[in-house]
Amino acid sequence: MLEYVLSKYNFWTYAILLIIGLYAMVGKKNLVKKLIGMNIFQSAVILFYISIGVKKGGATVPIFLGDAHAAHGHEIIIDAAHYFIPLPHVLMLTAIVVSVATTGVALAVLILIYKRYKTLEMDEIMKIRQDTGA
Amino acid sequence: MKVVALITVLMTGALLVYGIEEMPEWGDPNSPASTHVSPKYIQEALGKTATPNMVTAVLADYRSYDTMGETVVVFTAAIGCVLMLRKKRKGEKGEGD
Repeated sequence: MLEYVLSKYNFWTYAILLIIGLYAMVGKKNLVKKLIGMNIFQSAVILFYISIGVKKGGATVPIFLGDAHAAHGHEIIIDAAHYFIPLPHVLMLTAIVVSVATTGVALAVLILIYKRYKTLEMDEIMKIRQDTGA
Repeated sequence: MKVVALITVLMTGALLVYGIEEMPEWGDPNSPASTHVSPKYIQEALGKTATPNMVTAVLADYRSYDTMGETVVVFTAAIGCVLMLRKKRKGEKGEGD
């Protein structure tokens, strides 16, 4: 059993991170904790994609280290086994930017919620909304 | 409430663990991800875009419209934050003052 877990330990790590994030989003009542849970969730997805791009056996970061100007226009044979997969890196660059944007907007919304209700606890906000009928 | 959340999360976790079985080993050079389209990008990026960094080549050449849309996302987020957090002028009605 332990051997089976260790053979794919990276995926187990991301599964556990994702579960922690999902529980924080669903189970916690504090809105800031929900937001932190969303960020943990996103980190799990990002790490998962990055680990997909790894190649064993002498592969390195996807940057051509020779003379790129001399190479332009000529046929250069590049062995795909020598470089990591660049596509997950690109997509996760985009995902990180989007996650920063969503976190920023969510924090701004939280500030507005706090100004109006003077609390960030979900149940207290629902109680105030029921009491005032708004 | 917490119990319902815990059960939901644990069911999701069971699904994830079930999916791990099908995933390739760490760094397997013959995994589906490294044999399908990625060799094409790695081999052609330098010749077609003259960019030694393949991540930059895909980000700014192959997927430049995607990157342009991404700037729109960041711009919209910034506009939203400014509109929500700015100080209201005198006589202007609004939330949170």
